[in-house]
Amino acid sequence: MTTQQEAAERPAAGSRAIPAFVGQVLSGVVLLVLLTLHMIAQHFIVPTGLRYYEDVIAWLRNPVVIAVEVTFLVFVTYHAITGVRAVLFDFGFSERTERRLTAVFWVVGIGTVVYGVALLAAILNAA
Amino acid sequence: MASTTVEPRRPSTAPAQRRGVVGWFDPRGRRLGGLAFIVNRLSGLGLVLYLYMHLMILSLLVQGPGAWDTFVDIALSPPVLVFDVVLLVGMLIHGLNGIRVGLVGLGLVASRQKALFIAAMVISAFVAFVGALRIFGGE
Amino acid sequence: MTDTATDLRTTRFVVARRNEGDDPDELRYDTFDVAVGPRTTILDALVAIRRELDPTLSFRHSCFHASCGTCGMRVNGREGLACVTPVPGGAEVTVEPLANIPIVSDLVVDMNVFYDEFDEAGRPLVRASESIPAADTAEGIAELGRFEDCIECGICLSACPVAGSDPRYVGPAALAAAWRLIDEPRGADPGPVLRLMDDEQAAWRCHLAWECSEACPSGVDPAAAIMRLRGAAAAARARRLFSFGGNR
Repeated sequence: MTTQQEAAERPAAGSRAIPAFVGQVLSGVVLLVLLTLHMIAQHFIVPTGLRYYEDVIAWLRNPVVIAVEVTFLVFVTYHAITGVRAVLFDFGFSERTERRLTAVFWVVGIGTVVYGVALLAAILNAA
Repeated sequence: MASTTVEPRRPSTAPAQRRGVVGWFDPRGRRLGGLAFIVNRLSGLGLVLYLYMHLMILSLLVQGPGAWDTFVDIALSPPVLVFDVVLLVGMLIHGLNGIRVGLVGLGLVASRQKALFIAAMVISAFVAFVGALRIFGGE
Repeated sequence: MTDTATDLRTTRFVVARRNEGDDPDELRYDTFDVAVGPRTTILDALVAIRRELDPTLSFRHSCFHASCGTCGMRVNGREGLACVTPVPGGAEVTVEPLANIPIVSDLVVDMNVFYDEFDEAGRPLVRASESIPAADTAEGIAELGRFEDCIECGICLSACPVAGSDPRYVGPAALAAAWRLIDEPRGADPGPVLRLMDDEQAAWRCHLAWECSEACPSGVDPAAAIMRLRGAAAAARARRLFSFGGNR
């Protein structure tokens, strides 16, 4: 396929969708805060850091911690999946392929968050 | 003077020479911005892999203290601590360069992109150094 | 002043070649040994090769002083204008056509693909205030007049890592051209161009590698222009959002 034929497959310009870049910036700002909190919690709250089972479970029983960690999971998953999407879209796929990939990424992203929340529930139930 | 007509163009059928995906990561001939692009992309992809690895490892907590504490003892071994330092470096590079990408990418400080990248890397190096001392110091 | 015989050294030029009918996925390389001096440019050497060694070598050039943008190519992997790029030190120099633009023959690329991106932006560089009505120009040529820093050499598109993998990306030159209109409309309506470039395949595809600006021989700084274009696009979206569906 020539470059001009490839260029002809380009979707109409002027997309009204919010640019993924803006979402990455906003989620990135949130992650700067949440990741810092996460690292402080993991390494500086308990003298030796949150390492062994008893310390981790005691920490996770705090509802505020649960809320923060789930929020962190949502934002980090969004940022990660959107980032991978941006990298893959640089391969120059067709518009149809990009729409399909976006749908797959939504499934993977939601699945990741669901898995994380279910895992948290399972951990607390097993403790 | 008689005017002449511009003839219609015939599209080229020859392909272009493209560096492709490999070209993203080829540092030869790159300047600071190109290097920033490479490290941001590599650190981002590495952190995505770590995210899913981290979620899988956390499932050991469901199996109880035996499984988890055994893993923690392995995680405190020197080779794994090296990985922790690499992870820290990746988070710092991606996060601090991300600040540059966010500010510059929204047109706020477009003329300062080099300085922002240098500052991000200097701060990353310093914090990574302090972090490595703490990691290998047993803290 | 010309280089004297004592200043000359022999450099091996490894030059990319492609003729019609060649395997489209492969470039072959021919080597030429050329005597060069301290002031010899790549273009000087290519002219010498064509004159004395291989008259079939294809390359473009015109002004010999970096104002026409015709002689863009890659030398040892880095983009530049051949007419002002000195022959590097070292025994061997690789010369290749610009990347990311279809190759017509040897070092000649199909610039129509590059110019088409400017068409999409509506060729906003053309400004009525800068045209010369009295000039007698060929039909269709008047609209191609330019009075901007950008010499449309295609070097920025060649240097761009995103264009290296995605041919659909509009590219730095067209985006910088769009920004020039938006920044200084001079009576034109910048709205349609801003909306056109506010797109995932246009302004938002750039990943800030800044290679375009580093490679630009004319001081255009397309990367900064793209970022400012993004800022304008984001601001326009914010205005629409907070005006509850305003008409921009």
